[in-house]
Amino acid sequence: MIPQLPLALRWPRRQRFEHFHAGVNADALAAVQALALEPGAPWVYLHGPAGSGRTHLLIAACQAASAIGRRVQYLPLASLADRPAAIRGVAGSELLALDDLGAIAGEREAEHALFDLYNQTRAEGGALLFAADAIPTQLGLGLPDLRSRLGACTQFALKPLDDAERRDVLKTQAAARGIELDDTVLDWLFARYARDLGALLDLLDKLDQASLAAQRRITVPFLRGFLREAGQAES
Amino acid sequence: MSDLWRRCLERLEGQLSAEELHTWLMPLQAREDASGVQLFAPNSYTLDTVRERYQATIETLLGQLAGQPLVVRLDVGSNAPRAAAPAAKPAPAAARSAGAEPAPAPAPAFVHNLDPHYTFETFVEGKSNQLGKAAAMQVAMNPGRAYNPLLLYGGTGLGKTHLMHAAGNLMRERNPDCKVMYLRSEQFVGSMIEALRTKNMDEFKRRFRTVDALLIDDIQFFAGKDTTQEEFFHTFNALFEGKQQIILTCDRYPKEVDKLEPRLKSRLGWGLSVAIEPPDFETRAAILLAKAQERGVELNESVAMLLAKRIRSNVRDLEGALNTLVAKANFFGRPITTDFAEETLRDLLATHAQAVTVPNIQKIVADYYQVRLQDLLSKRRVRSLARPRQIAMALSKELTEHSLPEIGEGFGGRDHTTVLHACRTIKKLCEADARMRQDWEQLIRILTG
Repeated sequence: MIPQLPLALRWPRRQRFEHFHAGVNADALAAVQALALEPGAPWVYLHGPAGSGRTHLLIAACQAASAIGRRVQYLPLASLADRPAAIRGVAGSELLALDDLGAIAGEREAEHALFDLYNQTRAEGGALLFAADAIPTQLGLGLPDLRSRLGACTQFALKPLDDAERRDVLKTQAAARGIELDDTVLDWLFARYARDLGALLDLLDKLDQASLAAQRRITVPFLRGFLREAGQAES
Repeated sequence: MSDLWRRCLERLEGQLSAEELHTWLMPLQAREDASGVQLFAPNSYTLDTVRERYQATIETLLGQLAGQPLVVRLDVGSNAPRAAAPAAKPAPAAARSAGAEPAPAPAPAFVHNLDPHYTFETFVEGKSNQLGKAAAMQVAMNPGRAYNPLLLYGGTGLGKTHLMHAAGNLMRERNPDCKVMYLRSEQFVGSMIEALRTKNMDEFKRRFRTVDALLIDDIQFFAGKDTTQEEFFHTFNALFEGKQQIILTCDRYPKEVDKLEPRLKSRLGWGLSVAIEPPDFETRAAILLAKAQERGVELNESVAMLLAKRIRSNVRDLEGALNTLVAKANFFGRPITTDFAEETLRDLLATHAQAVTVPNIQKIVADYYQVRLQDLLSKRRVRSLARPRQIAMALSKELTEHSLPEIGEGFGGRDHTTVLHACRTIKKLCEADARMRQDWEQLIRILTG
């Protein structure tokens, strides 16, 4: 029998401020909200490991700022091909969110372009929001002028949620999709798959479709089979 | 926002990742009219990508939503009404996007672009910068006559730009008709490229040569740009002959900037060149207190001293630490005590401390004096090695928490009295010899920057 295909619907991962589980990062959330909504708020530099919510906060800031009519743009530096051109090209926004800043470390052209962008934005009263995996002095930037300017931002270390908080997020997100994830499944996921919330939420999207297609509840055996097929199970 | 466009975005939300959506589509602004939908991109970079990757999808979707095929036009600009109430838009960035596309207005009236916050009153003076401040004041009191050009040089974040603006602001205060133009070097380069492109060099020349004072920041970025240097050279000559003031900043002594034309270097030396050194401990603390006061924040001296002791790289890092501290204190409703500062800035302070280790110092000193690391750590006592070795030892004492015996150990098992002798020798040399002092401060800057 041909398996029934689910509708090609993608659940947008909810990345607004109200979906951000702040935990110990509540101060960072407040500073980013201020930057998104209030012209003249201090520029913010977020740093933290993967899965600590950097991208979420940047997207949420863009969302919130554009909802009140501010012109904003998000720039994921790691995934752009021609970074110097991108950085030189993105004038014209009131708020610019630059993600994965580490991607330009050592790229002379791109570092210079960002230095110019920083100065220009300062002079014109715009706002920048930065996210990276380390503080400015540890990014490996070659241009001291850029490094020191980033150092002047208000800086927040984002800490990943702990296991209990991650469980809560996953359960809530699953519930929003009409799926139930019980503790055995979550135990298994944390032990065998990943602890990074971003990766877990991506998996949840795929699982959601697979369980719809297979018309089965999400159980440990189902999960194991799914991951084996996807080639991602750890032995 | 156009309703049709809002619905289109909602549809796209289900098809594209949030990252893609916010990079390319959310920045677009839409205007609906009888002939179709016009989408405005904030810049041509976005426009090109949207056209290439998304225009077809957008046309299809909008057509479906409208129930009839629609013409979608893409432009750079803004859908803000052009004539009506420009004051309604709060941010200058909005005005910029509106003006991004049309050709620049012909011969605009002279606009001052000095930052009014940068004045001599808000500049915190210390041993490291008092010469620079005095020179900038002199120039402002007597433009074109005192020192021309005035060149302020030194590392990043030490206050060169502040002094430059302060001089400009004072000139304007003393003579409101005085035309002062401030530019970052890349703006000079940009204007020149634009003038070449539009064959408008006469206008370019006129613009820069009719000012009373021309202030250009970070001229080290002229390095390797031959046409820019050529043009700047002529501008310089014209201003100099007209006794119009020139103030420049550079991140190092201009003679040391590679790929700067010799004839330009020599002219830069015609006036006065003043080094701006990294602020000493007392000045760092005073800067923090002044910045806090400026912001209406209560900062007690012990916290200022804690930060000043631990962050020695540059003023921007001090400012960043203060910003972070204030944001966190406000958020948690806690007073800024030394404990609170230690606790909230733990990561930041640790990285400032941790970057400086004895092996790191040895490596950087070896690089700086172009000797091999293994020679630096060897027992050889030739002068060319002994001096850098002593400097590395003294720096280790100055910048790390290690004891003299530990430092001796780190230098191939030397006695602690050798380290002590090195520290004393270097201290004396720094007092007596300007070149030595410059090396010392440069090395501290490299190690702590």
